[in-house]
Amino acid sequence: MANINWRTINIDALDPESSYNFDLSTLTPAVQPVSTADVQTLTGQIRQLLRGGDASGALQGALENAPYGADEQGKAAHLSVVTECLNQIRQAEMTPLLQRMYKAEGGSELCDTLMKYLYKGMSQGTDTPTRNHAGAKSMTPQATGGFSQAGGRNFGGTEGGGQAMSVFLSWHEKLVEMVGPGSIVRVMSDRRTV
Amino acid sequence: MSQSLRPYLSCVRSTLTAALSLSNFASQAAERHNVPEIEAASSPELLLNPLTVSRNAEERVLVEPSVNSVRVSIRIKQADEIEHILVHKFTRFLTQRAEAFFILRRKAVPGYDISFLITNLHTEEMLKHKLVDFIIEFMEEVDKEISEMKLFLNARARFVAESFLTPFD
Amino acid sequence: MLLLDYQNVLIESLLKDRFAPGATPTSIDQVVSDFDNVTFHISTPESKTKILVSLAIKCYPELAKYGAEEVLQREYGSLIVQPENGYDFSVQVDLEQLPSSDEEKTELIRKISLLKRNAMAAPFEQAFDEFASLQEQARQYTSESAPQGVREGGTVRAIHYREEEAIYIKASHDRVTVIFSTIFREETDRVYGKVFLQEFVDARKRGVQNAPQVLARDDPPLELQGIPGLKGGKGAEGGVTYVTFVLFPRHLTPQRRAEVISHIQTFRDYFHYHIKASKAYIHSRMRRRTADFLQVLRRARPEAEEKERKTASGRTFTVKS
Repeated sequence: MANINWRTINIDALDPESSYNFDLSTLTPAVQPVSTADVQTLTGQIRQLLRGGDASGALQGALENAPYGADEQGKAAHLSVVTECLNQIRQAEMTPLLQRMYKAEGGSELCDTLMKYLYKGMSQGTDTPTRNHAGAKSMTPQATGGFSQAGGRNFGGTEGGGQAMSVFLSWHEKLVEMVGPGSIVRVMSDRRTV
Repeated sequence: MSQSLRPYLSCVRSTLTAALSLSNFASQAAERHNVPEIEAASSPELLLNPLTVSRNAEERVLVEPSVNSVRVSIRIKQADEIEHILVHKFTRFLTQRAEAFFILRRKAVPGYDISFLITNLHTEEMLKHKLVDFIIEFMEEVDKEISEMKLFLNARARFVAESFLTPFD
Repeated sequence: MLLLDYQNVLIESLLKDRFAPGATPTSIDQVVSDFDNVTFHISTPESKTKILVSLAIKCYPELAKYGAEEVLQREYGSLIVQPENGYDFSVQVDLEQLPSSDEEKTELIRKISLLKRNAMAAPFEQAFDEFASLQEQARQYTSESAPQGVREGGTVRAIHYREEEAIYIKASHDRVTVIFSTIFREETDRVYGKVFLQEFVDARKRGVQNAPQVLARDDPPLELQGIPGLKGGKGAEGGVTYVTFVLFPRHLTPQRRAEVISHIQTFRDYFHYHIKASKAYIHSRMRRRTADFLQVLRRARPEAEEKERKTASGRTFTVKS
């Protein structure tokens, strides 16, 4: 008369003591919640810097203020602005820029954050083609809300995607040369995801 | 085409080298058991962030690390129907010989063509850099093989068609 | 072997043995099969010197409708006997009444081993004749003023020589169209087939300028409109493909007729044979590649060193690995 098959209950999930219910938040340092509006203001500022031609400053600013506490939309918005910065910087400038960043105070943190964005960018490009970075084309002011670009700026999956990926890949190569594989390990183990 | 291949492979290589730091970890749920944690997923603290390396939407590598095991899934480029079939058959050949391959997973992760499962036992027995070499070489070889087979098929088809139609001349 | 033989090789070799000057007559009873589910029965029912060759084709009634009897009469005249029980057509050769010269003997052997080809040739010959007459008629008119019958061409002759597959032949005033409907039972076969067919279609552009034009589609071509029982449409289960050969007047001259008919009959089997052959080659290549991978992986295992182990008192073990 009981309709539940007792054997299929996941007993670990119900046991508060079991390792299944390990509270992951104890592992990560506390992150401050960041609202989407804040993220938008930040991205606006960074875009301004970009338009002004200061790509390295824009990148630095973006990495320093990575919104660990924002929600999905905010994080996606920040990712797209970081991608824009990366695209703007030319091949020749990459290595000196990285060197400067690394040598500066708290530089390795910044490099780790950059690595996180690289991986996130690469995973995004394949799930949802609509999330392709806008590149130099859409410098339109993002004053109106929401980055729910449902199919708005789709530059045709593989073409735009392939180009974006090669940018990420070349950045990745240079970064690993500079910082070493340790940063990859830190990306894997750091629970605060971008 | 191949100008992005080299950075792609070197990215995969460094990601794998970083991910393959595995250590023995007995199961926390059952006494005297030792399971690959990435497959069992018994506890969230043991799983690390998955990383994706992609060259374009068609070719990517997913690396899912954990404390004692790593799952590497590869998606191979399949442009048209004939490549799709060739890749499908090729991965089937490989996965049916998974026992001989040690590190191969019999079923690929959904969304990918082939998956490897590397545990701490493997890294203890085998040289780590050679394992990474193997995976990189595998990726290169598969691409090369698929395009060679396609070329062969086209050449053969042309030859066959011409030999049939020449007697009509 | 690239091209398929028109004749049945087993019959040819068997007869050659029997016809050889020093051969003593022995009794024979063999069932030989050929492409398209055709079977031959070679036997010596009455006496050891009289060899009976019988043919069984699934579509014999259809072929008879298109004049197969006349063609076979023409080819084998004196040799024809009553069809054996269970077979459609029989010829008998008397070893004591063989022609004297070697060329004539070889010619006889060749004719008998072409039994299947000759039986299937009838509809083609009819269509070619129809084409010739239509061409004659059309010559008297310009293309606009030609009467309806001449412009449309002749009727469609259907030969269902296999389960679910058929050949359709249609004559017009300036060409003869031969349509093969072929079915691929497996998905992979279909994809390979598409690659091959694409090359057939492109062959004219690439090298063989004078070849017949080849077209391939998934749904029945226009010439076959109105024929009952045709499967088709994209994505139909069963995967039927229609391959059309357009034979131009230069292929239809009396001198080239026989060759063209023999050759085009072998198309379907030729096509499928080469698909299977390439599949087998690709598989063997993949197997070799997997073996290579395995070897590379083995290299990753370092060799376990032979270590000398000693006990406390100094005795040495040998390690059995």
